[in-house]
Amino acid sequence: MSGQTATLSGVRAERERTVVTQPVRARKRLGPGRPIRFGAAIGPALLLVIWSIGSAVGWLDPRVLSAPWTVVTTAGDLIADGRLQSNLLTSTQRAVVGLGLGVLLGTVLALLSGLSRIGEAILDGPIQIKRAIPSLALLPLLILWLGIGESMKITTITLGVFVPIYIHTHNGLRTIDSRYVELAQTVGLSRSEFIRRVVLPGALPGFLLGLRFAVTGAWLSLVVVEQINSTSGIGYMMELARTYGQTDIIIVGLVLYGILGLLSDGIVRLVQRRALSWRRTLAD
Amino acid sequence: MPKKSLVALAGALAAATLLAGCGGDANAGAGGPKLALDAALPTEVPDGVKIVVGDPTTEKALKLSGQLGKVDKFVQFANLSGGPQTTEAFRAKALDVGSVAEIPPIHATWTGLQVKIVASKFRQDALNHPIYELGIAPGVQVKTLPDLKGKKVAFSPGQAQGALVLKVLKKAGLTKEDVKLVELPSTGDVYSSALSAKQVDVAPIGGVQIKRYLSKYGKDGAATIRHGIRDDAGHLYVATESLEDAGKAAAIRAYVAAWGVAQDWTDKHPKEWIDGYYVKDQGLTAADGQWLVDNAGHPDISGDWSAAIERQQETIELLAQETGNDVIQAKDLYDLRFQSVAPDAIKAAGAGAAK
Repeated sequence: MSGQTATLSGVRAERERTVVTQPVRARKRLGPGRPIRFGAAIGPALLLVIWSIGSAVGWLDPRVLSAPWTVVTTAGDLIADGRLQSNLLTSTQRAVVGLGLGVLLGTVLALLSGLSRIGEAILDGPIQIKRAIPSLALLPLLILWLGIGESMKITTITLGVFVPIYIHTHNGLRTIDSRYVELAQTVGLSRSEFIRRVVLPGALPGFLLGLRFAVTGAWLSLVVVEQINSTSGIGYMMELARTYGQTDIIIVGLVLYGILGLLSDGIVRLVQRRALSWRRTLAD
Repeated sequence: MPKKSLVALAGALAAATLLAGCGGDANAGAGGPKLALDAALPTEVPDGVKIVVGDPTTEKALKLSGQLGKVDKFVQFANLSGGPQTTEAFRAKALDVGSVAEIPPIHATWTGLQVKIVASKFRQDALNHPIYELGIAPGVQVKTLPDLKGKKVAFSPGQAQGALVLKVLKKAGLTKEDVKLVELPSTGDVYSSALSAKQVDVAPIGGVQIKRYLSKYGKDGAATIRHGIRDDAGHLYVATESLEDAGKAAAIRAYVAAWGVAQDWTDKHPKEWIDGYYVKDQGLTAADGQWLVDNAGHPDISGDWSAAIERQQETIELLAQETGNDVIQAKDLYDLRFQSVAPDAIKAAGAGAAK
């Protein structure tokens, strides 16, 4: 009897020793982590620093590339003169009208092409052809067809804008995951419900990406058209400065385009973040 | 149903965009009675006639001299000038009158476009008030024209700068084989940039580019030399078919008259011209404006084009020989009905001012 009692105690002791718990280790992080505050400004700021140092030290010849402070004082003179803001207003008006028309046209064409096989068969090829024809090469024909006034300018911008909208929106429509299609079929959605609840939301990321290309495309097209029969606009101001050898004004124009491009892209990304708040991606 | 309405919307959008400007601006107001090229010029501009004029500098002069009211009912200004732009616009039927130097009417004719010169302006004491000087790249030794031998020279066929290069070579006793011609169109600051980057050794540069080039690169050895050749021709030319429309011909005549008075006004009012045009409109300094006014000297607008036609014939023959084009007759490029329109208008305006 005393032997049996000793055995039971031993078993209990063994069991207690094997229950020791290992310390918990943290999981490895695979994503890029939390966004850096004002991260988007770091790159441009670095460029500005390099440009400033390069100009100050003498690496950059001011005859070839004006110093940042020269750009600021020249811009100040142009603002005091009224020339910068009046040219900017004119350019912005052209860009906005062209952008609006281009987005509308691109979206309509993308829907026609993306929601229908016959639409795609008819439209996609010609649009890819247009995409391959540079606007600059098209200008002589546009002048022949539309003259040299504002309608030619707006049309050129519109043509530069609608292509990226079309491509990215069409791609968005065509790359809806089949799982969602099957789910929609399973729960018995009507076609219009399917389009409204599955297809259009699914294409929205593509549309917004296209919009980022489109806003920049609008500014790019402006440079070209404002060199033809313009008496206003940033492109006109730069072309006039070329005629008179005013390098500093040319650089002001370039910097202005860069800023406008960054701001436009930033606005679209802001819209993108809000419109796509339902997504959970590495970007978010 | 949604599909059809979307198709209709896209179609309507495309149609609206294209129809908005179909036919080009110069066609507006066309369709007047036919006028033979040797018929007397009509003097009354009918209502509804519109001509598109590419003469931005004169537009400003008309405004500053208070004369815009004489022409604004029938003239629409386009901000383009010079050979390449105006020729392209003529072909597009987007322009009726262009402002150019000597070569574009010749070159246009060689490329199958029918044009006529309707007004001409030269410079008094032209050899001392050239439009162009030969820019010399930093480090390149060119002091006289014969020094061009072996050098890289910018060349632009179809432009006044190209013709000037050929004339300079001839004067220097050189041929195209004695230099390296670098074909390069002269627009904006292309020639100044090519010189400063040493892409060419010699290039004709004009206007304030001369001043700017020397002030920026003079310390590196950049220079300019005079060429001693007349390069001062400035013309208004038109697509011939515009002259075959009686209404447009009358409008062009009225424009030429106003143009003449405007040239005279800018000559007699340099301060207003510098302040109102070069400083306020073009964004230059007053010093730049003064330099440009001094450089231009005084205009010579003659009622007798015979000497000008002779000079242009020489140019045509030189160009034809060097470029392989047919020799054409300079007199065929001029519409002599317009010969005295500008001088008479200047005289009349002067008489009016004297009262």
